[in-house]
Amino acid sequence: MDIFLQQLVNGLTIGSLYALVALGYTMVYGVMKLINFAHGDLVALSAFAGLTVYTNIFADGGTSIIAVITVFMFTAAIIAVVGVLLERLAYRPLRTAPRLSAVVSALGAGLVIQNAIMLIWGPNMKIFPSDLFPSTIWDINGVVVTFTQLMILGISSVLMIALYLFINKTKMGTAIRAVAIDQDAAKLMGINVNKIIMIIFVIGSALGAVAGLFIGIYYRGITFDMGWMYGLSAFVAAIIGGIGNIPGAMFGGLMLGLFNALISGYISSAWAETFTFILLIIVLIFRPTGILGEKVAEKV
Amino acid sequence: MRKILPKLAASAVVCAALVTAGSAADVIKIGVQAPITGKYANEGQSIDNGVRLVIEQLNAKGGVLGKQIEVISCDDEGKAQKAAICARKLVNEKVLAVIGSYTSGATEAAQTTYYRNKTLQTSDGTSDSLTKHKYWTFFRNSFQNSAQADFTAKYLVKEKGYKKIVVLSDYSSYAVGLADSAAKSIKAEGGNLIYQGKIKSGTQNFTAVLTKIKSMKPDAIYFSGYYTDGGLLRAQQQQLGIDAAFIGGDSNDNPDFMKLAGKSAKGTLLVNFPTPDFLPYDAAKKFLKDYNAKYGMAPASVWALMNIDGLKAIIYAAEQTKSFDTKKISDYLHTLKDFPGITGPVSFRDDGERINTKFNVYEIQADNSYKIVNK
Repeated sequence: MDIFLQQLVNGLTIGSLYALVALGYTMVYGVMKLINFAHGDLVALSAFAGLTVYTNIFADGGTSIIAVITVFMFTAAIIAVVGVLLERLAYRPLRTAPRLSAVVSALGAGLVIQNAIMLIWGPNMKIFPSDLFPSTIWDINGVVVTFTQLMILGISSVLMIALYLFINKTKMGTAIRAVAIDQDAAKLMGINVNKIIMIIFVIGSALGAVAGLFIGIYYRGITFDMGWMYGLSAFVAAIIGGIGNIPGAMFGGLMLGLFNALISGYISSAWAETFTFILLIIVLIFRPTGILGEKVAEKV
Repeated sequence: MRKILPKLAASAVVCAALVTAGSAADVIKIGVQAPITGKYANEGQSIDNGVRLVIEQLNAKGGVLGKQIEVISCDDEGKAQKAAICARKLVNEKVLAVIGSYTSGATEAAQTTYYRNKTLQTSDGTSDSLTKHKYWTFFRNSFQNSAQADFTAKYLVKEKGYKKIVVLSDYSSYAVGLADSAAKSIKAEGGNLIYQGKIKSGTQNFTAVLTKIKSMKPDAIYFSGYYTDGGLLRAQQQQLGIDAAFIGGDSNDNPDFMKLAGKSAKGTLLVNFPTPDFLPYDAAKKFLKDYNAKYGMAPASVWALMNIDGLKAIIYAAEQTKSFDTKKISDYLHTLKDFPGITGPVSFRDDGERINTKFNVYEIQADNSYKIVNK
C-alpha cells in the first residue's frame, strides 16, 4: 500500500509540473486557436535563465527565502517578456494568415529559442545547485515526501487556484473569456484584444517559467533540448483535459503524471510513453474535445 | 594522347617506386585513428597527443631498430562512416600499426580493413564484439565489458556479501550488455539477483522504478548506464530513503555524476579501471609528467593511456622480433606476458584480448575525491 501511495506522490509531483506547462498551451489555444509549440522551449529557457540569475546574484551561496523568491520572480519576469516578444514577432504578423502558417511559425520560434539556449549556455548538461530548497524529507509510514515536492505541489496548486479565480471572478478575466468566445464581438464591446493576448502570453509564460525552475530544482540536470520532452507531455495533457479549457489542463496534467508513474511503476518505464499515447487516442476517440472539454464549454 | 599515356604511366611507376623506396628505407609509419573533433574530441586529442609524445621520445633515442617513426593521424569523429574512410587512408599510407579508435563503434568499422591489409590495430573499445572475429591484427588495450562484469559481481557477492542485488541499465547496447553480463556473473557467483530493470535515459524522473525497487528492500543497486542518469538515480534513491549501496559502472566515472547527485554522491561506489592519478607505476607518473610538460594539461582520461600501452607493446614486439613484419609482431604479442605498461602489466590472449584485468572500486568521499576500497 505504501508503495502505491509513494507512486501517487511521485506522479502528482510530476503531474503538477505538466499542469503548469499545459496551462500555457491551453490559454493560448483558447484565445488564439494556435498551438504555441515554442512554449516547451520557454520552459527550458526559464531553467537556464533561473540558473544564471541564481549563480550571478547569489553566488555567495545565500539560500534565504528572499533569494529563492527573487530568483522565481526575476526569472518569471524574464520569460514573460520573452513570451510577449514571441507573440509580437512570430504570431501577431500571422494572426489573419491561415492557421498552418502560424503553426509553422511556432515550430520555427521553438527552434530559434532552443538553439539560442545552446549557443548561450552550450550543448552540455548544466546542473542546478542543490541548496535552493532545504533537503528536508518526511517519512510518513514509508511514504517519502521531500520539501521540494511539497513546494511543487503547494505552489502549483496556489497558482492554479489563483488563475482560476482570476479568469472567472475578475473584470479582466471576463474580458479574456469574451475574447476567447468571439474576438470581433469583444472588440466591438471596447475590449483591447491585443492587450488581452499580451496578458495571456505573460501569464502562460510566467507559469511555464515556474515549472521550468521547479524542473531544474527537482531534477538538477538541465539540457538545452529538454523543452521538447516536457512540452510534448504537457501538450498531450492539455489535449486530454480538453485544450482551451483551464480546469481541463490542470486535470489533464495531474492525470498524465499519475498515469505515467503507475505505468512506469507497475509495468515498465519503457512503456510509459506508449501507454500515454494510447490513452490520448482513446480519449480522442470517445471524447474528441477532451475529458473536461464539452461542446458548450467556454474556451479560454 | 597516345604518346603521353606511356609517359604518364612510366612516371607514375617511378613516383610510386620512389615513394615506397623512401618510406621503406628510413621511416616507419604509425597511424592514429581517433575522434579528434566532435563529441569525444578531448579523448581523441589525448590519444593523438599521447602517441606523438611517445614517438617523439623514441625518435630522440634513435627510433626503433634504427628507423625513425612518423605519426599519421586521421580524425574519425567517433563515427563509423568516417572510421571506414580513415582505415582506407591509413592502409594506403602503409602504416605498420594503427592506434585507436576511442569508441567501439568506430573501431569495429575499421577493423576488417586493417585485417585484410595485414595492418596491426590496438584500441581501447570495451565492446565484447571487438574480439569475436579473432583477427590476428587486433589487440584490445583496455578490458572487455564482461571482465568488468565479472569483477563487479565478485566484489558485490564475495567481497561485500550483498544479499539482495538489483541491476539497472538504460536501453543503450553498451549498458544492456554490461548489465546482462553483470547479472549473469552475479548468479554465477551465487549471488541473489532480485531484480533487473531498465530506465529510459534522459527522462530524469526515475522515482517510479525506484519506488518499485524500494518494496524489494535491496542492499545493493548496480547501474551500468551513463553518469547523467546515474547521478540522478543516486539522488532519487536517497530521496526515497532506499537504504542500499549504489554501485556505478565505468561510465558513471565523471565529475558531473557528483554534481547531479549532490550530497547523495558521498558513499557511492564506482567500478572502473585505475584513473590516471591512481596508477601506481613509475612509468605512468613519468608519462603524465611529460604529457603535462608538453601540452600543459593532463590526458582526458585513462583511455589515452591504455592506447599508449598498446603502442608500446607493439614497438616492444618489433624490437624483440627485430622485424617490421606484422605477422611476426602479432605472433609475439599473442604470447606477451606482463609487459610493464603504464596502466599495468600488459598480456594478450590469442584472440587479442588484454588479460589479467586490473579494476578498482572507488568510494566517493564527502569532498568528491575518490578512495580505493576494494582489496
